[in-house]
Amino acid sequence: MRQWLIGLLGWCAVSALAAPHQHEPPVVLAPGYEDLQFEPPSAGSYQLPSMGEAADGLILNTLGNAGRLHDYLGDKATVLSFIFTTCNDVNGCPLATYVMSGVQKAVLKDPDLVDQVRIVSFSFDPEKDTPSVLGRYGDQFRAEGFDWEFLTTASEDALRPTLDAYDQWVIRDYDEEGNYLGTMSHILRVYLIDSDRRIRNIYSTSYLHADTVVNDLRTLLMQ
Amino acid sequence: MSRIFIAALGFLMMAVAPVTLADETCMSPYMAKIVGQEDYVYIWTLGMEGVGDGEDKLVTVDVNPDSKTYGEVVHSLSVGGRNEAHHSGLTDDRRYLWASGLDTSKIFIFDIYTDPAQPRLHREIDDFVAKTGGIVGPHTNYALPGRMLITGLSNNRDHGGRTGMAEYTNDGDFITSVWMPTDDNLQGAVKSGNYADGYGYDARALPRRNVLVTSSFTGWNNYMMNLGKMMGDPEAMKRFGNTVVIWDLHARTPKKVLDVPGAPLELRCAWGSRSNYCFTTTALTSKIWLIYEDDAGEWQAKAVADIGDASKIPLPVDISISADDNHLWVNTWNDGLVRLFDISDPHAPEQVFEKRIGEQINMVSQSWDGERVYFTSSLLANWDKTESGGEDDVQYFKLYNWDGATLTPQFSLDFVEMGLGSPHQMRFGAHALYGKAPAKTGHDDMAAR
Repeated sequence: MRQWLIGLLGWCAVSALAAPHQHEPPVVLAPGYEDLQFEPPSAGSYQLPSMGEAADGLILNTLGNAGRLHDYLGDKATVLSFIFTTCNDVNGCPLATYVMSGVQKAVLKDPDLVDQVRIVSFSFDPEKDTPSVLGRYGDQFRAEGFDWEFLTTASEDALRPTLDAYDQWVIRDYDEEGNYLGTMSHILRVYLIDSDRRIRNIYSTSYLHADTVVNDLRTLLMQ
Repeated sequence: MSRIFIAALGFLMMAVAPVTLADETCMSPYMAKIVGQEDYVYIWTLGMEGVGDGEDKLVTVDVNPDSKTYGEVVHSLSVGGRNEAHHSGLTDDRRYLWASGLDTSKIFIFDIYTDPAQPRLHREIDDFVAKTGGIVGPHTNYALPGRMLITGLSNNRDHGGRTGMAEYTNDGDFITSVWMPTDDNLQGAVKSGNYADGYGYDARALPRRNVLVTSSFTGWNNYMMNLGKMMGDPEAMKRFGNTVVIWDLHARTPKKVLDVPGAPLELRCAWGSRSNYCFTTTALTSKIWLIYEDDAGEWQAKAVADIGDASKIPLPVDISISADDNHLWVNTWNDGLVRLFDISDPHAPEQVFEKRIGEQINMVSQSWDGERVYFTSSLLANWDKTESGGEDDVQYFKLYNWDGATLTPQFSLDFVEMGLGSPHQMRFGAHALYGKAPAKTGHDDMAAR
């Protein structure tokens, strides 16, 4: 895991060096980087009540084609994660991408899941995460043939309604002259969305773990 | 601004909560915290008949010593009536403060991020009982990812102590509810002792252990009764919770019911990344209890210390654990004392300090660095004293500085004299949480004094 982490942080290194900010380094790695420290409830033995409709929004895919987020929701159980590629907090977006890689690995091994699951990583930095940048980022993590989509938007104006709809609060960091530093503070949220486009779970840093997410995916597909 | 520092444990703002959290040291390891100087304390305040407008209100006090309005009430927002205002809790992103009323079962959601100096009412939930299938008395407002967990104290069938918990989205939409395990319906839980009373009070989560812990108090019939009348009613005095329940956090199913006799109230879990234990105190038996996972992975409960002389009914109320897990503040309502226990060995707490703060001391909140300790009075409207037995104010908000040996008073606000009411739970706010600098001057809408 540590090598994987170093690789992911390497991706962010330019941003990290260029934009040191006032935040202290994390002192505790999130549970998602370790083996799960408990026996999860068995798939299908619990409920995942709906938390409401998963919103739509404008997107660009890695080819630069315009579309809508709902084009990627509704036909499969989907794990939706908001990230940005220059994120340099180990317990933020790198954690999300690390866990999504773990989900991908587990799903690929499960013939009951492999055609029923999609991962969507959605950038909330349209300025830096252009389709081509996001495409290169995604190539680092997406396994051959796996349905892991990387989406961005054309502009802040196109992005904002989607962030608002998903209650994804983001603070952009600026210097004293008002120049954007390229870093953001946000609350990590990963959404589990069923094939009827309903949000069935939300994970944050202390809850996000590949085993838990896969367990929930199995639970969704058993109902 | 430079004195404000928000911890980046997780990515600045990570979820869980908290949340009831009485204070800054009561949050999730991954929730945004104010680890430097807080700007405001938001105090959920019971309305008192004949005091000001008589309504419940959210009172905002400026507590930043660099501010021109330091130590003053800078905002007061009344909610239109009395609801038995009690506990409050922050959402996982700390943008909203949920504050509930034990009598009317209303929940008020305040926006504290648009202008941290002037909270505004964002939404009011007035159908909690109907939506939850009969849960009464929303108490703890505890943040889980993208949602709030609300513990109940009672039910609408007999207004006794059997109750449940509900979940809402951060927007205030109902998701689901679950009832506490009882002898009649253990819901798969193991009853480990003599009780499975189905009562509720506080809740705390330990996500890395997939554990939710709940405690138990009493129902509407008791908490809305005059204290003297209740104390004189032997049947009423039997109707207090005697349990702590260990839940499967992910499945929201009860796993084990532990005997903790004497109304275990506030729950505070250790911060250490390998520390699998929480503390609670029992109101009627005046003990500190340790709720812990043993070496075999079994959750257990045991009394680990006495709080004063139980025969004198000190009535422990709020507690606050330090960020390093070494100390626990314990307030006792009846004698007006705060006690500090060394809990570095959680199985053998030792009292190391005590000080009288004032009549009917109830809630305690400390800053992340432990250097500032805030206190409020007020327990419940029908239990509070209305007249001082001595020189004390009966309803107050006080700040002390703590240097490791002495509590030094900084300021005290008399909430009756100021026409505000009975102050209860405190939550901290800071402009820096929202990428904003504090205003350089005071605010124009100074609240009622």
